[in-house]
Amino acid sequence: MNNVAPLVADLLEFIAQDGCTDEQFDQLALRLFAYQYGASAPYRSFCQRRGATVRNVKTWSDIPAVPIDAFKAMELRCEPPRADERVFMTSGTTRADMRGRHFHPHLAVYDQSMTRNFAARVMQGTPRLPMGILFPDEVAMPNSSLAHYLALAKSAFGSEGSLYFMSPEGIDLEGLWRQLEDAERRGEPYALLGASFSFVHVIDALRKEGRSFRLPPGSRILDTGGYKGQSRELPLDTFYAELSDLLGVPRTLCINMYGMTELSTQFYDDGNAVVPSVKSGPHWIRSRLVDPETGRTVPAGERGILAHCDLGNFNSVNTILTEDVGQPAEGGFLLLGRAEGAQAKGCSLAVEEFIRSATP
Amino acid sequence: MNVIRVEAGYLPGLATADVQWQVLPFEQDGQRVDVAVPVLTAPQMQALAERVKQASAQHLKTMAVSEIIDVIDRAISRLLDPNDPYRRQADALLPIVSGYDAEMVRLGLTGFFKTFRAPQLHRFVAEDFANPKVLDGFQPAVKGGAVRAFGPQLLVHSWAGNVPALALWSLICGLLVKAGNIGKLPSAEPLFAGWFARLLVEVHPPLADCLAVVWWRGAGDGDAAALYEQADTVVAYGGNDSLEAIQRRLPVTTRLLAHGHKLGFGVVSAMALDAQKAPALARRAAWDVMRYDQQGCYSPHVFYVQRGGPVSPRDFAGYLAAELANLQRRFPRRALDLEESAATAKWRQSIEWKLPADGADALIGDPAAPWCVAYTDTAESLAPTALQRNIVVAGVDTLDQMVPLVARRSEFLQTAGVAATPEELYRLAEQLGAAGVTRISAIGSMSTPEAGWHHDGRFNLLDLVRMTEIEQSAEAAADPFAPYEP
Repeated sequence: MNNVAPLVADLLEFIAQDGCTDEQFDQLALRLFAYQYGASAPYRSFCQRRGATVRNVKTWSDIPAVPIDAFKAMELRCEPPRADERVFMTSGTTRADMRGRHFHPHLAVYDQSMTRNFAARVMQGTPRLPMGILFPDEVAMPNSSLAHYLALAKSAFGSEGSLYFMSPEGIDLEGLWRQLEDAERRGEPYALLGASFSFVHVIDALRKEGRSFRLPPGSRILDTGGYKGQSRELPLDTFYAELSDLLGVPRTLCINMYGMTELSTQFYDDGNAVVPSVKSGPHWIRSRLVDPETGRTVPAGERGILAHCDLGNFNSVNTILTEDVGQPAEGGFLLLGRAEGAQAKGCSLAVEEFIRSATP
Repeated sequence: MNVIRVEAGYLPGLATADVQWQVLPFEQDGQRVDVAVPVLTAPQMQALAERVKQASAQHLKTMAVSEIIDVIDRAISRLLDPNDPYRRQADALLPIVSGYDAEMVRLGLTGFFKTFRAPQLHRFVAEDFANPKVLDGFQPAVKGGAVRAFGPQLLVHSWAGNVPALALWSLICGLLVKAGNIGKLPSAEPLFAGWFARLLVEVHPPLADCLAVVWWRGAGDGDAAALYEQADTVVAYGGNDSLEAIQRRLPVTTRLLAHGHKLGFGVVSAMALDAQKAPALARRAAWDVMRYDQQGCYSPHVFYVQRGGPVSPRDFAGYLAAELANLQRRFPRRALDLEESAATAKWRQSIEWKLPADGADALIGDPAAPWCVAYTDTAESLAPTALQRNIVVAGVDTLDQMVPLVARRSEFLQTAGVAATPEELYRLAEQLGAAGVTRISAIGSMSTPEAGWHHDGRFNLLDLVRMTEIEQSAEAAADPFAPYEP
């Protein structure tokens, strides 16, 4: 378990380099797999039930993908717990008492993964921008990976005067309007970042007050995380049309981030002029589309459930199986939403329906 | 790709050109069937209902039950003939539409049709009516006077598509009580009901306007309401959500006979678990799991198996797994769509995460196999599996011990398959019946209910009719008015 230090050093170096070959990715993925297989007993037995061992896993796509439910049911970690570790937890949208936990003994890898990717995909060469954050800070939400992500965005890429607009009472709309007016007046590009549901509240407030902004050219919007029952749901096309219309940011600079508590790396699109947009990640994460029942990659071109091999996940498991439906696309994948539970076709009873009827 | 186009439904009095059609595409193993289903307007639906009511009053209500049975019997005998065009169409298209293995569908249909031959239908009627002639005319009542049973003028069916040809149950019940019948096709299997209507009319042309088969999108709006408004009775199958939607549309005076979600289970006594009997029993249990991939309301989800016999519950689970593997070779499971596959994986993994460290074999079989037996030593309350040939075997110490585990789900209970001694069977039946079970069958027969069964514990025919009585007082009062009276 003390062989982790060189591995982390190599990971940091790998993330820092510009791209990689298939061989280089495989090599590091397999090293990480061997380490995790040896260090994590629950992961080892999961792999053994699937007949996967260090000997017969030859390439990254052979690594068994761990369903995200496993992060709720057991502790997936390689290093022993420590007092100063960070634990990111899922928001528990389905069951509040069962939250997935991702243990980070330190955030060096996570932070480097985030900043390198964010610089390229969101900042696009601009070193710093004034930022507005529509999400609680890390003090309010110490177990939220998104809170950490946004805090990091602000500290690493936000220029002076960047602000949070989320308070326990909700979004400080007056403060936000002032900041946006200020940006308009100064003609300096502005970045507004936050959860997708926060943007819905902003859209609704602007519509209600009958006002809108024309943010200076180069301004951008980054939304993430969906609605999670915290706002009304908008169709993607309407969502970006409204954002662009009300804030004056072209849809090509309305960027969506797709991330998960169970990952250490994020995916981005190149704007949302067309939805659903193509999502892609940096060279240290690879994705495939699988049939969840067999774990096998679906035939080329077909829809499947997304499985990601994230080399940034050094302490948990590097390959996870999501519940998101994906479709292959040029340069990445399209995200088609969550695989909702199957519906029974008649008078048999499907689990999802049973759970709904059994809970008052 | 070879594309077959079929027109579904049966619409007497309406020309194809007068109706809007929507195409439902089905694809299986490189074959495609485009099923065109009719979308009627509210006035069309209303006119259809009027027509069916009038015609059935004229041509169906005037037939004797035995004559109706004879007509159905002739139609069924054609469906049992492998060379009949209707049967060939069913054998060819239902596997593509439902996705089920062709051989499984063929065997399933034959078994199913056999329950609707004349002797079985006579038994069906006799099961509900001590004197079946009450359906034909007034019969003397035991208490005095006379009594006659009248079927609905218009019986509306809302069918489910989980099992091919499921529509037969309620449609035949409707015919036996001489109701005008209009059924709504399920989108998952929109073919069989229309075929059967046409076949009946071929066999007995006067029935032409006595029944109709329609379709609508989702819950249906104005068009559905136009039909429901005219029904005196509605029979509906499906999930609780769709049943609730139907209930909301019905006037309070309309009778709704709802067949909602059900959960089946099996019970195996230690007395059935010797080295000779247990493998054969596991084989029959596997058939119950395999038939229509557990999509029936009677399909088992859990087998509670008693400890203490020469074959342990864990070994029984092993036999069951082996039989499911065999059946997979003979009757491969339907290909799952992504959502179903995700649901199945989620169910299996939820068991996997709960495993104790030494319970590595609780999920029996290859994790990627299209079937799965989950074994547990600690029996839990009855709950659904992910279906699609996923089954739980739970070890119990005594048979009595499992009764409270199912009793908690009384609203979902229907079929229990039992393998036990005669004494145990009757003792268990008392307890299970009290808990809410309405049907106890042999293991292996769970998914093939016998003719005349009381579906969900109700009377198939009796629930459809209204009784009219001539009381003794009326009879006595009439006497003095007879011309032959002094």
